[in-house]
Amino acid sequence: MQLEHSFTVEAPPEQTWALLTDLKTVGGCFPGATVTEADDESFAGNVKVKLGPIAVTYDGKGRFVERDDGAHRAVIEGTGKGLRGLGNAGAKVTVQLAPDGSGTRADVLTELNITGKPAQFGRGVMQSVSDKLLGQFVSCVESKLAAGEAG
Amino acid sequence: MTVTEEPTAAVREVGKDRRRKEDQRLITGRTRWTDNMQLTGMLHLAMVRSPYAHARITNVDMSAAQQAPGVISVLCGRDLKDHQGELPCAWPITDDQKCMAHPAVAVDRVAFAGEVVAVVAARTAAQARDAAELVDVDYEELPAVVDLKKAAADEVLAHPELGTNVSATWVFDSAEAGSGGDVEDSIRDAEVLIEREYRQQRLIPSFMEPRSTVVDPTGEQFVMWTSTQVPHILRLMLALTLGVPESKVRVIAPDVGGGFGGKLQVTPEEIITFLMARQTGKPCKWTETRSESLLSAHHGRDQWQKLTLAARRDGTVTGLKVELLADMGAYLGLVTPGVPILGAFMFNSIYKFESYRFECRNIFTNKTWTDAYRGAGRPEATFAIERLMDELAAELGRDPLELREQNWIRHDEFPFSTVAGMEYDSGNYEAATERAKELFGYDELRAEQARRRESGDRVQLGLGISTFTEMCGLAPSRVLGALSYGAGGWEHASVRMLPSGKVEVITGSSAHGQGHETAWSQIVADQLGVPFDDVEVLHGDTQISPRGLDTYGSRSLVVGGQAVVMAAKKVIEKAKPLAAHVLEANVDDLEFSDGRFTVRGAGADQEGLGLAGLALRVFAAHDLPDGMEPSLDADATFDPVNFSFPHGTHLCAMEVDTETGETTMRSYVCVDDIGNVVNPLIVDGQVHGGLVQGIAQALWEEAVYDDQGTLVSGSFVDYTLPTSADTISFVTDRTVSPATSNDLGAKGVGEAGCIASTPAVVNAIVDAVRPMGVQDITMPCTPERVWRAIHGGGRGGATEESAMPHFEEDAPNQDNPGTEGGQL
Repeated sequence: MQLEHSFTVEAPPEQTWALLTDLKTVGGCFPGATVTEADDESFAGNVKVKLGPIAVTYDGKGRFVERDDGAHRAVIEGTGKGLRGLGNAGAKVTVQLAPDGSGTRADVLTELNITGKPAQFGRGVMQSVSDKLLGQFVSCVESKLAAGEAG
Repeated sequence: MTVTEEPTAAVREVGKDRRRKEDQRLITGRTRWTDNMQLTGMLHLAMVRSPYAHARITNVDMSAAQQAPGVISVLCGRDLKDHQGELPCAWPITDDQKCMAHPAVAVDRVAFAGEVVAVVAARTAAQARDAAELVDVDYEELPAVVDLKKAAADEVLAHPELGTNVSATWVFDSAEAGSGGDVEDSIRDAEVLIEREYRQQRLIPSFMEPRSTVVDPTGEQFVMWTSTQVPHILRLMLALTLGVPESKVRVIAPDVGGGFGGKLQVTPEEIITFLMARQTGKPCKWTETRSESLLSAHHGRDQWQKLTLAARRDGTVTGLKVELLADMGAYLGLVTPGVPILGAFMFNSIYKFESYRFECRNIFTNKTWTDAYRGAGRPEATFAIERLMDELAAELGRDPLELREQNWIRHDEFPFSTVAGMEYDSGNYEAATERAKELFGYDELRAEQARRRESGDRVQLGLGISTFTEMCGLAPSRVLGALSYGAGGWEHASVRMLPSGKVEVITGSSAHGQGHETAWSQIVADQLGVPFDDVEVLHGDTQISPRGLDTYGSRSLVVGGQAVVMAAKKVIEKAKPLAAHVLEANVDDLEFSDGRFTVRGAGADQEGLGLAGLALRVFAAHDLPDGMEPSLDADATFDPVNFSFPHGTHLCAMEVDTETGETTMRSYVCVDDIGNVVNPLIVDGQVHGGLVQGIAQALWEEAVYDDQGTLVSGSFVDYTLPTSADTISFVTDRTVSPATSNDLGAKGVGEAGCIASTPAVVNAIVDAVRPMGVQDITMPCTPERVWRAIHGGGRGGATEESAMPHFEEDAPNQDNPGTEGGQL
């Protein structure tokens, strides 16, 4: 399934890009996520998500399959294995930044593949859950930008 | 009710609405289902199932599970591959049928989500389940084919090594068979052609008792208790699959809580439980959860039907061409390939066609495999033809009942050889229809429909008709042989006369809710003239009932019941020389009626001799005629020469709210001709249950997969199984034209309601909204689909997501993902 999100932050694209590609820092902004290792190209960690009646922890890793620092475009691929036999997940996330007044607009396209119980029970709520999670992610990113943590 | 039964004796049991003998133990909790079995030292199993529809298994790490509390053994496909054999398919429909080896536990590849990849045995069921979650399986995902039509195009292969998704193509052509003309001629010469494509959605049998298996390996024989419809077939298949001598296997089907075809199977879990018991040397039990049942017990239906009906402008039908795509799912189960073929002889139904062609392509997909489900092939056929007859009537502007009558086999034309090569022995479609119209108030409802149409009422009324027939009594062994089925269709029975005068009846039929104990007792009470309560019916245990072919296909009464009748008659014949000896009469002068032997011409006041007294004399054996064996017991095996053909007229009135698409059933009347009736109460139960199951296909039930092959309607929240609260009170009645294929004159009723009701309901809904340009609505006809169809959305679209919305935002009693998800 495909999920589409857009958000804007009050920081110029360069600064936003630097934060978003600093996986260790930005990973901490994703609700329920812990990044255990990260370098310039790849990361590993886990994320706990609650989808309707199902709470699942995915243990996984990801990497940049495309990264254009000039055009502020990146494609990240991640795979996660659901703990306790709860099925696996895979995601391909495409991020594109563009100037938006004095700030930055980010368009995020997520192609999500999930299997097992989370897919069975969670499909109906996937978009709304991801909207809520992204909302929290964005406010975290904004606070970090305001605090000048990256760039 | 038109009754043409033979003159009844003073007190006949057959025909009485006896309360079921088995119900007391069932409803007071005194029975033992398989899951109630507790054996000393018993282990409990839990299955690890694939979340992927198609994937290679690259590694199975069982170490964490092996160390979990209470765990005794963990096995995966690698461990079992040399012992587990292949699950059987007993029905190769063509010589070149493509079949994929079907291991109980997947070894290196899974082909549907829900396939077993490992099994855990632990001291308790909870420990087994917890440990199963710790089995760490690595998969490499492969492309999965989920959609039936895409699968038929061979773009993605469910089993790459087969090279195609087409398992087999099976054809019946009346020109080739000599039973009719060439359908292409009829189509070419047709004055009216009706071309339609219908979808038979995938359904899940949803029996009340989940499947459960216990295997005890500690005795001389392996004893398996299992929730199955087919203990005899299962025993043979266990022996053939696992290489165990058949004589070392005993299968017991205790009280079984429903099957509907869903327990007509040799399941992976039965094999696995057997193997685990053998490996550990301890009794093992597996009982599924409802989620497991919906996910991995076999599914039913799932066809695309492309139909061409040729007719003359005067309404006479001439030819019928049927092109089916049938979804096998990932594997071929016990009778999977044959299910759509059972419909091949029923598309022509009660009508007189000049020509007929049936072509079915069986297709593999990466979904749970399909197999028998109540009606098996015949509901699909009945739906198609009954929908088409309504379409033809609409095309010609004719009353659909009158058009049917113009084309059906008249009661004076029986026996009738159909264009599909069947010989219908008896029936009276006029009588059933007449009675149904009267009970329904057909003409009044048509008048109301016209008034509502004229006034533009928001709620429109539709009348749906289904004048169905089906073939029951599976099956004449010769026919099964001609269809390449791997077994016969006979049934076995024994009658044992106990010294005390009680009677034990052993039947090879294997009841799982049908009430055989009651019906068989009624039959034997009449045959032998013994009290109903003196008859004990024993079944479902291969040690007690060694021969049998079990219960499915509305076969029990017409095949198994006839075997009981024949065995009882043999008992009387065996008793006759002794009766003559005691009465000092000539055997030829003896008469047997109402349980007593009397001497012809000896007057009405003679006492005669009862069978019970004779049984005691045989037991003592002190004074038997010379050469008489000291036993009255008798066995009989009955192999029918023909199917039986119940029929009926079902009329349904549906109200459709044209603003919301909501449908409401207003009235449902069915008049069935199922031949002579043994127990009208049991018959009513079968009809009511069948109706609801068929109505559920029309309105509510659908197994929905997402594009990755995950079953999203995998719980009763999404798989909307109706309850009695969702249905109305049905009006049922019967007409009787006895079957000629058995002494009882019975035709079978187990599947009738389920076969007939689906098209009646859909016809009614389409009839209500036809003036708005609607020709068809895809099942299940949810309010959304009906609304879309009314508003120009064709047939209402496919099911994209789960059938019913849930987890609505702001609904009470639900987690708010905004806070919960973020704080975890």
